[in-house]
Amino acid sequence: MHRLPTLLSGIFMVFLTSWLGLVAYPTLQLGRLSPVADPETGGTLPSVYGGQAVAGQRIYATEGCISCHSQQVRQLSVTNTDIERGWGTRPSVARDYLRDSTAFLGSRRLGQDLSNVGVRLPDAKWHYVHLYHPSAVCRGSLMPSFRDLFIVRKIQGQRSDEALDLKGADAPKAGYEVVPTAEAKNLVAYLLSLRHEYPLPEAPVKKAGAAQAK
Amino acid sequence: MSENTFPHHHADVTHEGHVAMDSRAIDASVRLPIIVLFGNAVHWLVVAAAISFILSIKLIAPEFLGGISFLTYGRLAPMARDLMIYGWASQAALAGGIWLMARLCGRPLGTIMGGVLHSTLLVCAAVLWNVAVLLGTLAIFAGYSTGVEWLEYPNWASAMLFLSFLLIGIWAVLLFDRRTTGRAEVAQWYLVAAFCWFPWVYGTANLLLTWKPVQASAQGPIQSWYCGSILSLWLLPVALAAIYSLLPRLLGCHLNRRNLATLGFWLLLLLGGWNGMDRLIGGPVPAWMTSAGVVAGVLFMIPVAIVMINILGMPRNAESLASQAIPSKFLIMGVYSLLGVGLLGALASLPDISASVRFTGVTEGKTQLWILGAISLPLFGVLYEAIPQLLGRDCWNAALSARHYILTVVGIWMLVSIMVLGGLFTGLALSDPTVSFLNITSYAYPFHLMECAAQLLLLVAALILGGNITRALASDYLFNKNTGK
Repeated sequence: MHRLPTLLSGIFMVFLTSWLGLVAYPTLQLGRLSPVADPETGGTLPSVYGGQAVAGQRIYATEGCISCHSQQVRQLSVTNTDIERGWGTRPSVARDYLRDSTAFLGSRRLGQDLSNVGVRLPDAKWHYVHLYHPSAVCRGSLMPSFRDLFIVRKIQGQRSDEALDLKGADAPKAGYEVVPTAEAKNLVAYLLSLRHEYPLPEAPVKKAGAAQAK
Repeated sequence: MSENTFPHHHADVTHEGHVAMDSRAIDASVRLPIIVLFGNAVHWLVVAAAISFILSIKLIAPEFLGGISFLTYGRLAPMARDLMIYGWASQAALAGGIWLMARLCGRPLGTIMGGVLHSTLLVCAAVLWNVAVLLGTLAIFAGYSTGVEWLEYPNWASAMLFLSFLLIGIWAVLLFDRRTTGRAEVAQWYLVAAFCWFPWVYGTANLLLTWKPVQASAQGPIQSWYCGSILSLWLLPVALAAIYSLLPRLLGCHLNRRNLATLGFWLLLLLGGWNGMDRLIGGPVPAWMTSAGVVAGVLFMIPVAIVMINILGMPRNAESLASQAIPSKFLIMGVYSLLGVGLLGALASLPDISASVRFTGVTEGKTQLWILGAISLPLFGVLYEAIPQLLGRDCWNAALSARHYILTVVGIWMLVSIMVLGGLFTGLALSDPTVSFLNITSYAYPFHLMECAAQLLLLVAALILGGNITRALASDYLFNKNTGK
């Protein structure tokens, strides 16, 4: 082991073990998973993201949402809390991430898990107000405001349908309205498309009664 | 016996003013690049500490610097993490690794490859590294992050880092191959392994996650593998090389049970690649992968224990002058931090514990103890040891060095224990679905407040180090040439 070639071959053999197991195997095995047919709609599962959601996924990445939010519902032999908290109806499996460009698994939950945020909070208007001023909607939330994803503009004629219903100090001056930018719309479209409530062969959804969502 | 042939003259430099010719020639051959790398590493450390402090304020006052897109938590957090890993730790590891390798191998850099390639190439590579870190950081700032944890730099910036590493790392391997010192010691093995591993792990992870991403269903294990490997197979081996090569010489004693060190080396290499998988326990990956991660996390205690036996078992006198010197103190504290990392990692990877604490401050505290403790502390040790030797004089302000040491150690242990404690509390609360998430956030408030204080200590510590090194290098530039020393 005192000559370079001997030492190097030793080192590479040892390196190979984890590389084969955790890089080569997932790439060849999990990387080749394919969607399954959806018997109800005739489409595929997981379903394809719309154009806005695909753009919104970029915003999710660049804004670093992953710093505080995970996207995985765990099921362990010893705990079921992710499901009991209503973050999902079944554990996440590799196939759920098939349509993503990046798997935003996350490592910290300073905020809630977002795997099924589109199921839990399906209202786009709620998301706009929440993004604009999180603690106005959720008192005590640690989430920062994303005001820069919105514009305040003078109302031209009639108030826009998209304008946010803001209360108190957040409300714009009379004659003005707050509307989401294209980025905000894309981001919310992405959040609303985060729905992994469908059953997959390897991850069936327990029938109601077994679920104890709270 | 390699310890005796090592041209290391720390005691001579400070006490007798005599330096052996060969080590002086070696230092001269790497002086500029090593100082460029160390100097920039420290300045990135200061920036990272400042951003971390801002982040900790944001956790107690979310509206602090609010509504400004490039100052949101989501952009600053990856900036701070990447600056700690690539700006500070990796750069200091490059500097320390090359310096140690040149010294351990007894070869001035210029004598390799017929003397054609000088330190100029290394300096260019070091500049490239820093340009990549700067541009990568600005890219995250401006909203061009890839969104992959710890690999947020855009493709072109990570490609620059990769290229720069190859240009620097090749020297470590060449130095080892052409060494004049005969039998290699474990520290050199660690360095060769580290310098070979980084291109492999960084290249693979970037290729499969950001350059040409694989289908996202396969990305989870690769992300975790990267996060585990970059710490335990690139940065930790360099830190261990520093501990194994410097401490016995500084303290003037032999490693305790030296034969075990070889076993420790191979076990660390074998397990290091797997022990990032505890990041995915219960997650969307095949169960055997996380099981392997749990096993690796627990078995990782064996190489850690071997380091303890080798280093802490040395018959040293804790009151002696050598043990009280700043480099030895940093190196020893690094060994204790490694013990903490091993214990915390083994405990937190047990499925029952992981179930409640995985997404809490416990995980973050463990990462911080890895980066700030087990890796940064030994790197500080090399820094404090190398710079005076490279400059050829005792350049540190002793009072500043002592304050930096105390504040760093107190700051790290305070930060980590608060994060772990807070993580246990929130973890327990999270396991009870009747407690609402916002309630849990309010429980965490006092912990976030104390985290803020710890981050402030670390920022002050980083500033002191920054001041100390700036003073050392500036006075060298201003006065040393005039006095003709």
